[in-house]
This record gives sequence, structure tokens and C-alpha cells, in this order.
Amino acid sequence: MKPMKLIFVLAAVLGLAACQSKVEYGDATEVETVNENFGSTDLQAISAKMVDSMLTFPPVVAITQNNRPIIFVDKIKNKTSEHIDTESVTDSISNKLLRSGKFRFIDMTKVDAVRKQLDYQNNAGMVDPTTAIKFGRQIGAQYMLYGNLSSIVKQDGSTKDVYYKMTMRLMDLETGLIEWSDEKEIRKTRSKSFLGM
Amino acid sequence: MKLHTDLLPRSTIISILMCLTLSGCAFNSIFINYPSQIAPYKQQLNSPTAAINLDSIAKEIASNDGLLYAQESGRIAQINGQFDKSKTYYEQAITAYKAFDDQAKISVSDMGAKASSLLLNDNAIPYRGPGYERIMLHQYQALNYLFAADMQGAMVEVRRSNELQASEQARYQKSQKSVQSMANGTIDAEVNRLGKAAGTVTSSFLNAYSYYTTGLLYELLGQPNDAFIDYRKAAQISPDNTYLQQDLVRLAKQLSMPQYDEFKRRWGDATLANAGQGQVVMLIERGFVPEKQSLTVPFTIDGNWQTISLATYPSSGQQMTPATLQGLGTVLKAQPIANIDALAITALKEDLPAALVRQALRVYAKAEMAQSVRSDSKRRNDQIDAGAIAMQIFNVVTEQADRRSWLTLPKQAQIARQYVDQGLYDISLGNAQNTKIEVKADKTTLIWIIDTGNRTRFYSIIL
Repeated sequence: MKPMKLIFVLAAVLGLAACQSKVEYGDATEVETVNENFGSTDLQAISAKMVDSMLTFPPVVAITQNNRPIIFVDKIKNKTSEHIDTESVTDSISNKLLRSGKFRFIDMTKVDAVRKQLDYQNNAGMVDPTTAIKFGRQIGAQYMLYGNLSSIVKQDGSTKDVYYKMTMRLMDLETGLIEWSDEKEIRKTRSKSFLGM
Repeated sequence: MKLHTDLLPRSTIISILMCLTLSGCAFNSIFINYPSQIAPYKQQLNSPTAAINLDSIAKEIASNDGLLYAQESGRIAQINGQFDKSKTYYEQAITAYKAFDDQAKISVSDMGAKASSLLLNDNAIPYRGPGYERIMLHQYQALNYLFAADMQGAMVEVRRSNELQASEQARYQKSQKSVQSMANGTIDAEVNRLGKAAGTVTSSFLNAYSYYTTGLLYELLGQPNDAFIDYRKAAQISPDNTYLQQDLVRLAKQLSMPQYDEFKRRWGDATLANAGQGQVVMLIERGFVPEKQSLTVPFTIDGNWQTISLATYPSSGQQMTPATLQGLGTVLKAQPIANIDALAITALKEDLPAALVRQALRVYAKAEMAQSVRSDSKRRNDQIDAGAIAMQIFNVVTEQADRRSWLTLPKQAQIARQYVDQGLYDISLGNAQNTKIEVKADKTTLIWIIDTGNRTRFYSIIL
């Protein structure tokens, strides 16, 4: 009977200890495999691939040789079956492109805020007219960057396979020509564990 | 005489305790039957004036049957027009379904629940809705996103329900066999009766309403090709719906599909909007899906009283009549697209074989328990055997049918569609409350009408 009791006590202690929660810092670029949903690793892989591809594509290199073209980013269309923050994907990509020093950007999400500010500067009567920024002096974008993210999901009893494909394109707004295009594929497979809680 | 200290043998107590711990501590539906918990909310929804208080039901989302309560809370909030709140609740239900998907093949908590179901009843097993409920969850979530003007989010939910619809279709082929291969005396008669109530056609397995809703959202959000695919599936399930037929002819014409000639021959040519006209699309949900009843059969094993309780559906009540809509010029008659009650009955029928196996095991476990506490000496001496009596009472009281199901779903869904000149309209359903809607040229006004019997709610959006 004695050893049985001991085992019970040990099991109880182990059980209680397992319930303790803890917080720790991790590496933001670490491979994350909590589940098969779209995650940080996918986002990083996509933006790294797209930026590399664009910056090394010979015609794009030629365009950026002597000047810094102005780009605006149209949002990435989410065609997957997950609620994904695609704005965050475009943010990462435009950040990297901007940091490369080869492009300049126009932020279309802030147009309303800018209009409000200019309206205030010019019409509120509070700002010295000589310092107020005039309407109609902004520079127009020459290129549009856009894309879409699609997925194919298949599932049977214990396996789930998710395939993501991100397609991005750079369009010359004047000619309508696609100057650059690339895609990044990601495949993730999840199999259920045999034993668990 | 031996002192009867151990009313219940220690091993039994330990196993009961183990089961209780493993399956958590919330036991909502084990002793209080589920329909009676939801009845007050249905009454509030149906009352023309009563305000709706979701606090106490939303609290249950943390319980064992959290999924079910999340579905109910979401639906109650949605019927009441609180789309944001509903979205949060539905999201919790979706997460719960995902957790089930990710559960290990042999799961300790699942085994714990199954084991406690052997001692108590099937309500101890955490609720996991049948396929059609899960599809409807995504369908309704899509509508939540739509009414919050988040089109991209709505499309995500539409695609999610498409994925589930595909797997449900695959399951449908298999399940027909399993439903037919059951045979068991009284129960067999019950299954047959359920079969008659549900019908054996495709419409009792697959939900045309879900296909129609996903198709409609595809169409309204600019993907007519995907809409065509879903409308076709809906038309296969519900072939007599003329609105659906018109949709198919129109899309086949618009997309120059090879089926256009055939559809035109069968259903006539497509009518298109004239200049200055807009489209009105109506989704009409009527009534509440029926509640499960329990079928209890008492009997004795070795002189110990036992009962079995199985869930069943009452013989189908009165049929829903097609809704008539006034105010759009002509009186518009809606047409049924899906009977949710038939889907519910089929889901129960499919679940019965497994429930019967658990029932048999439970009868055995309870008989063993009753046998193990019975004192033969007491019985011989005509003394009162308190242990045995307590055990039998425990057995009979705990034997409750599993009556859980998503009860705030409608009984029937109907659709209607019409082109009208742009302007303001005052529409009403039957003679019930009326509401103002706006129609804009070349746009679609989607009106979602939820008629719970005594109260009709209208929600509309222009797309």
C-alpha cells in the first residue's frame, strides 16, 4: 500500500506543478509552429521573398539606378479562409522596400488625415498663411504595388494540409505595364497527435 | 451481522471521482434538461416588447458545453440585431470547434467525458454540434461581417463554410449506409418514425439554405462564377424553388455558361432589371427548430430498477406556410429553401447508433453498480437495503436523454427576389410589423427577415 500512496502524492505534485503558467521572451524571427494557421513565420517568409525578388529583378534595378520611384501600395486581397491582417503584410513589405533606399512611398491609408490637416492649415484661420502647406502640391505615385493571398485547405480525419500562395505585382501607372511580379508558396501539414489531453 | 459501512465499494467511488475530475466541473445539462434552459430566451426573443438579457447564458460559454452556449448566445444577439456582440460569441464557438478538430485521437479528457457518460448520462460528453450546425455558424458569421460592412471578412466566412460543406457532402454518401444499417426493436421503430418525419431525400442531409447564402454573398460581392456553383448545389437539393431557378438562368446567361440553353428551356429566359430598377433579395427565417424530447423506457435487471432514455423528435408539427410580402407593388410569395427541422432529425438519426452503444454500456455499468452494493443478507432478512435503493435512485435520476441541440435556429428558411424601381418602400410580412427599406438603381437591397412567430425583425443592407 505504501508505494501506491507515494505514487499518488507524486502524481498530484506533478499535476499541480504543470498548472503553473509562465511568461518568457522569445526571438521574434523564430520559426513558429503553434498551429497550421497563417502566422508570423509565413509573414516574414513572404515579405523577405517579395522584397528580395523585387530588388534583384534586373528591370527594377534599372528603374532604380538613377532615381527613387514613387510607389503606392494597394491593399493585398485576402482570398483565404482565415481572417488575416493583410495590412500587416503590406506594411512589412513596404518597410523593407523603403529601408532599401531605392523607393519612396505614398501612404493611401492616411489620405483622409492629411486632407483634414491641410484643411485646418488653410481654412481654420489659425495658421499663418505663409507657412500653411498648400493643397495640390503632393507628388503622384508612378507605380502601384498590389497582390493577393489565396489558400487551398484540405482535411481528412487526422491530417490537415494548408497551401498558401501570395502573388504580388508592380504596375507602371502610366503605361499599365506590369514591371515585376512574383509569388511565394507555403505549404503546411498538420497531423493530429495520437495521444493527448 | 456484517456492518455495511461501504455503501458503495471504494473502487466505484474512485472511478466516479476520477470521471468527475477529468471531465471538468461544469455539469449544466446533466440534471436540468437543456431545452428548459433555453426556453426563457426563446420567449424573450418572441415577445414583441421584452428586452434581451444575455448575461447568464453567456456565462455558460466557459462550461463544458461552451460551444453550444456560444452558438445560442451568438444567435440570440444576432436575432436581436447586435451583430458585433454576436460576432464575438460565434468566434468563441468557432474556436471551440477548432479545438475539437485538433484534439488528439486518443484524448484523456474525451475519455474522461465518455467514462462519466457511462455512470451519469450522455450530457456529460461535451457538446459537439452536427455538421449542419457548424456550417450554419459560419453562414451566420458571414452575415454578421456583412452587416458590419466588412466584405472581406464575410468572404472568409463564406469560404470556411464552403470547406465544411464539401466535407459534409463527402460524409453524406457514407452516412446513408450507417443510418440504414441499424436494427433494434423499439428503437428501430423510433428510427423509422424519425425517418418518416425527416424524409430520406438529400434535403434532409444537406442544407440548401447554406449553399444559397454563400452563393448569394459571392454574387453580391462580385464573384458570380462562384455564386453559380453554389446556386447549382442549392438547386440540386431544393429543385422546386423558382427563385433559385431564375438565379441560375440569369447567371448562366451572364457568364455564358454551356448550361444556359438547357436552363432556359426548363425554366424560361432570365428576367433582368430595367433601367432605374434595383434588386430586392429576401432571406426569411421562420419559427424555431423543434426541441428534442426524451423517450424513457423503465425495466429491471436482477430486480434492480433501471431506465434507458433516448432523445427523439416529436412527430412533425404543423408545416410552415410560405411567407407573403406586401409593399413591393405586387404581393410577393416566398418559397421554402430548407427545412432546418429535417436536418436536425437526420443529425439525431445519424447519432443514434453511437448513442445506443453508450446506452447499452451504461445500462451494464449501472447494473453492475447496483449489483455491487446490494446486500443479499439484508434482502433475505427483509431489511431495508439503503445502499441498493440509493443506487437505484441514482441510476434512474441520472438517466437523462441528451436533449442538447442549437435551439434558436429557425425551423424553415425561405427566399424571395424581385426587381423594383428605385425608391423607398414600406414592406411587411403577412400582417405583421412593417418596415421601411430603400432600393437604389443597379444595387441590391438584401433584407434578412427573422420571424419568430409573434415578432418579426427586418435587417437590410444595400450592396
